[in-house]
Amino acid sequence: MSMRPRLSVIVPFFNEEENIERMHGAIVAALEPLQVPFEMLLVNDGSRDNTLQLAIGIARRDPRVRIVNFRRNYGQTPAMAAGIEHARGEILITMDGDLQNDPADIRNFLEKMDEGYDIVVGWRFNRQDKMISRKIPSRIANRLIGRVTGVPIKDNGCSLKAYRASVIKHIPLYSEMHRFIPAMANISGPRIAEIKVRHHARQFGKSKYGLSRVYKVLLDLLVIKTVASFTSRPLLWFSMLSLPLLLAGTTLFTWAVLKVLAVPQESSLSIAGSGVIFLAGAMIMISSGAIAELVFNTGDVRERDFARLTSRIERRRP
Amino acid sequence: MNTVISSIQARHPGIEISVIIPIGRRRSDIGELHAEYSAAFGNTGRSVEYIYVVDGRAPDASAAVSRLVEDGEPVIAVHLTRFFGESTALMAGFEQASGQIIVTLPAYRQIEAGEVCKLLDALDNADLAVSHRWPRAGGAGERIRRTVFHTLVGSITRQQLHDLGCGARAMKRRVLEEIVLYGDQHRLLPALADRQGFRTIEVKVRQSPLDRNEKGYSAKEYLHRLLDIFAVFFLVRFTKKPLRFFGMVGALILALGSLVMLYVIVERLFFGVALADRPILLLSSLMVVLGLQLFALGLLGELIIFTHAGGMKDYQIDRVIEFPHARGAGGPLRDTTGTRNW
Repeated sequence: MSMRPRLSVIVPFFNEEENIERMHGAIVAALEPLQVPFEMLLVNDGSRDNTLQLAIGIARRDPRVRIVNFRRNYGQTPAMAAGIEHARGEILITMDGDLQNDPADIRNFLEKMDEGYDIVVGWRFNRQDKMISRKIPSRIANRLIGRVTGVPIKDNGCSLKAYRASVIKHIPLYSEMHRFIPAMANISGPRIAEIKVRHHARQFGKSKYGLSRVYKVLLDLLVIKTVASFTSRPLLWFSMLSLPLLLAGTTLFTWAVLKVLAVPQESSLSIAGSGVIFLAGAMIMISSGAIAELVFNTGDVRERDFARLTSRIERRRP
Repeated sequence: MNTVISSIQARHPGIEISVIIPIGRRRSDIGELHAEYSAAFGNTGRSVEYIYVVDGRAPDASAAVSRLVEDGEPVIAVHLTRFFGESTALMAGFEQASGQIIVTLPAYRQIEAGEVCKLLDALDNADLAVSHRWPRAGGAGERIRRTVFHTLVGSITRQQLHDLGCGARAMKRRVLEEIVLYGDQHRLLPALADRQGFRTIEVKVRQSPLDRNEKGYSAKEYLHRLLDIFAVFFLVRFTKKPLRFFGMVGALILALGSLVMLYVIVERLFFGVALADRPILLLSSLMVVLGLQLFALGLLGELIIFTHAGGMKDYQIDRVIEFPHARGAGGPLRDTTGTRNW
C-alpha cells in the first residue's frame, strides 16, 4: 500500500453505527468496477456510540481503509479538514456518512476531474429534506453565497465534492467553512464544475447538523469576501471601509466651518465635534489597513502560492 | 505528523508518576510535606519521582529541597532565580519529568495527602483529573464568591467545575505536552484541556484541616479572578473566530449609534430642532465610529487567523488507525500515536 492511491474517499462519521457498514459496502461496490486504486478515510468525529469499534472492524478486513479518530466531537468542517490532511490520493472525494449521498455518483465526478476541472461539486437537484426548515433557508444562503463570492454554485451545502489534492490541501479550512470550500478555493482560481447528484432521504439515525446558524454563515461570508477578494491589497479594502467615515467627517466639518463664518454668534460645537470624530475614525481605519498589510506580509499565506496551485505552465521544448 | 507531539523519551524509563510541586509564597515545611506525600504514594506501589520547583528566592525552601536530594530521596530540585508564578513553575518542573502520569500538588496542605490515590484512579477513564475539596471550610461570603466565580467560568466553558483553585491534579503526560501554561492559566487548565479535546473529570477529595487562608482575599485577588474569566472567554470562544465577537459587539454599537443619529436627523429635518448644540450628536457619531472600528478589528483578527491558519487546527486527532496488511491473518496494528489502549 505504499503506492499513492489515485483516489481518496473521505467520510466523516458522528454517531452513525447503523450506517457505517452500509456506507463502506456501497463505496466499495461503486469503486471496484472502476479499476481505480483508492483509499477510504473514515473520520470518527467523536462518536459516543459503537461507530469507532465498527470502523476498526472494517479497517481490519479492508486494508484500503484508514481511520482518523478525533478526541471529541468537533463538527463537520474539522472532520473534512482532517480527512483532507491525511489523505494520500491525487483526487479527494468528500461525502456524508449517513447514506444521503450515493457513492455511485463518484464515477461522474472522476469523469469531470479527468476533463481538467480542479473542483467538482454536487448539486442535490431532487433534495429529500424538509421544505421549510432546510430547503428554503439553504436556497437563500446559496444565492447569497454565490452573489458575494462570485462562485455561483447552486448547492454549497452538498458534502459530495471532488477536489484535486494539490489545490485543496493548501486552502485553510476552519470554523464552519465547509459551506464555503469552493468559495475559499476560489482564491486560487480553480476550474469549478457542478454536476447533479442523487440524494436519498435519511434511512437511519438522526440528522446531526442543523441549520440555525444564519449569523455565523453571514459573518463567515464576510470573512471570505475579505480574504478572497483582497488578499493582496488589504489596505485598499480598509481604505474603502473608511471612505464613508471620511465623507461624513469632511461634510460635517465643512458645515461647521461655514456655519461659524455665516452666524458667528451661534454655537456649532457639536457638529464640529462629530466631524472630528468621523475623521479620526477614518484615520484609525486606514491605520488598521496598514496593519493588515503588515499581517499579510509576515504571514505564510501568499497570493503567489495560490496562483501557483492552479496555473498551467507551457514552455517551449529546448 | 505534526498534529500529535510524540511522547518525549522518558529519561528514567522506570518512573511511572512524576509529582510536580511548585513552591511559591505560600508553603508549609517541605520536609514534613514530603514525608506525607511519599507515604501517600508509597501505598500505590508505583514508582514515583518528586520534582520540587522553588519559585523565587526562598533560601529555607531551597535548603529543605536540597536536603531531600542529599538524603537520597527520588527528588529533583529545580531552583528558579526569581518568582515566575505557578504556571511557569509547573512548566519548568514538567521539563524534568519522565513519568507517563503527571501529578501536581500544592506546596502547602490543601487536601489530605491520602486522597491522591482517588485522582490517580480517576485517570482510568479521563485524561485530566482535578480535585474538588469537599466538604469545604469557609464562611458564607467565601462560599458565595466561589460559587459566582465557578458559575461564570462554567457558563463560558460549558464545563461545570467547583474548585479551580485547588492545586492537586493528575493528568496523562500528553496533556502537558500539548498545553503551554503561562501567567495565571494553571487555574484554567481544565478549560484548556477541554479545548484540546481531553476528557476532564472532577474528583471529590477531603480538604486538609490545615488548609486555611487567614488573610482572606484582597481586591487584587478579585481583579485577577475577573481577568481569568475574560481570558477563558477569549481562549475558549473566540480565538479562532474573532469576528464572531468583535462583529457582534461592533454591530450592536453601530446599530445603536445609527438609531440615535437617525432620530437626531429626523428631528432636525422635520421638526426644526437645531443640531449644533446637541451633545447627543457627538455621542451617536462616537458610537457609529466605534462600532465600525470594532468590526474592522474583528476583520483584522480574521486576516491574522487566515494568514496563519496553516499552523492552526480546529481539531485534535486522537490517533490514525490503519491495518496496512489486513487480509493477511490480521496483520499488526499501526497506531501512529499509540498512547492509549482500547
